[in-house]
Amino acid sequence: MDDDTIVCRCEEATVGEIKQAIREGAVDVTGVKRRTRAGMGLCQGRTCERIVMRILSQELGKPMSEFEPDTVRTPVQPVTFGLLAEGAHD
Amino acid sequence: MTSAADVIVIGGGVIGSAVTYYLSREGVKVSLVERGDVASGTSSACDGNILAIDKVPGYDSQVTLKSQKLLAELTESLDYDLEYAQRGSVLVVEDENQERVARDWFSRQKEAGLPMRYLAGKEVFEDEPLLASDVVGLVECASDASLNPMAFVYGLVDTARRAGAMVHPFTEVTGILRDSVGTVCGVETTRGTMSANKVVLAAGVWTPALAASVGVNVRIEPRKGHILVAERSPRPARRKVQEFGYLLAKFGGTEGRNVEAEMDQYGIAMVFEPTEHGNFLIGSSREFVGFDRCCNHHILELMARRALRFFPTIRDIHIIRSYAGLRPYTPDHLPIVSPVPTVPGLYVAAGHEGDGIGLAPITGKVISEMILGEPTSIPTEPLRLDRFKNKK
Ligand SMILES: Cc1cc2nc3c(=O)[nH]c(=O)nc-3n(C[C@H](O)[C@H](O)[C@H](O)COP(=O)(O)OP(=O)(O)OC[C@H]3O[C@@H](n4cnc5c(N)ncnc54)[C@H](O)[C@@H]3O)c2cc1C
Repeated sequence: MDDDTIVCRCEEATVGEIKQAIREGAVDVTGVKRRTRAGMGLCQGRTCERIVMRILSQELGKPMSEFEPDTVRTPVQPVTFGLLAEGAHD
Repeated sequence: MTSAADVIVIGGGVIGSAVTYYLSREGVKVSLVERGDVASGTSSACDGNILAIDKVPGYDSQVTLKSQKLLAELTESLDYDLEYAQRGSVLVVEDENQERVARDWFSRQKEAGLPMRYLAGKEVFEDEPLLASDVVGLVECASDASLNPMAFVYGLVDTARRAGAMVHPFTEVTGILRDSVGTVCGVETTRGTMSANKVVLAAGVWTPALAASVGVNVRIEPRKGHILVAERSPRPARRKVQEFGYLLAKFGGTEGRNVEAEMDQYGIAMVFEPTEHGNFLIGSSREFVGFDRCCNHHILELMARRALRFFPTIRDIHIIRSYAGLRPYTPDHLPIVSPVPTVPGLYVAAGHEGDGIGLAPITGKVISEMILGEPTSIPTEPLRLDRFKNKK
């Protein structure tokens, strides 16, 4: 993968930006996300998380199995303000 | 491992990072010790507002105004994109009942020297056309700004490192060391001992536990807050908007809002913040429920409902994420920026509740001034650690 390749399509974070974040101190998926926004978009990392883990593994010289996905946060699927607010009536 | 520095800063949140930055800039040798990654505590679970409008008129709002000026300088001197924008902010006044209190707030802030404006009637909708049609006024502060809080921390730490600071992430402080006369001489960490004759405790809501290990009582409690993140979408407002009732939720005022009991119980008040990426954030809630950072779904529902009351047009916009953080609360809503009288060499910089991002510059600067024995940029009496001593 060359540095211009886009890893996170939602936020347009590239391989190069992710490598830079790792040089600045990111050691896990969350650290990369906070520095590059990879995984912060509409799909919440569903597509790019494995690729981010692979780059981490490669750059830090550790096996893939050492990296965990980012913590899952509600809502698991995007929900509209209208629907969420209606829940408040039950 | 044994390493020596002039000053050890405990906690790599926005406050510890600002302290590290300002000291390093003066040529002081600083070690920053953080148990996780930098920006992994409250400074990674918050908004990025730099607001003077919602501070108590007088000392509190004037100190914030000063911090805003320092921040504007930092956006120039830090070699990092902070996503800084100074668009001002507004408080929405819901009804005639609130109007009286809001006009009074406006006058007192104006007197304190803040760049304030009061908008009423059709001016409100010229300013923010998508607000609910029944709101009656807006209080504006033009100096208010926003930034990305995590980028702010990375920028401070990066610049400090280049000026010579040693940064130790994933290193937990397990004890504060004192010499035979009780003066600070270093810290014990999970990666060995580090020595220095000044230590700054900037561990946010975790400060009391560390301070207790040297017999010091610090009055900080975690006050939890939730945030909803909306997808990229057309914005319902161009800048920061909060309901005036936010002040009531924050300060626990007596002027009630016309809301159901649960909204007050969880301290829910609408706070809207657009980000530089085209998303927007919706807050807020306030509760004392210990150190738990999990989201309470019911509170998120109530927050969504409160947001719709002010911005009916966001009904079909998606929420893509939510999170909760722990504000370091003190009983009088002012931070503790102070030497510890009983332990020479120890300082506390913590307890900034919902204002730590905005107050980080002035806090970092003042701690640096205290350590260097210089006159401080602001009077620091109201921020002393021992001010709570005679109160229960
Ligand atoms: C929902 C919400 C919204 C907010 N919105 C705003 C806003 O818009 N504007 C604003 O100005 N403020 C806002 N705040 C407040 C702001 O986030 C905090 O005041 C600020 O982040 C506190 O920074 P801190 O550095 O004191 O704490 P933290 O960021 O929590 O940093 C403390 C650090 O100390 C570390 N630590 C703890 N114990 C140890 C140990 N033993 N050894 C080593 N390290 C240790 C922790 O890991 C942590 O990283 C908000 C807060 C919340 C919760």
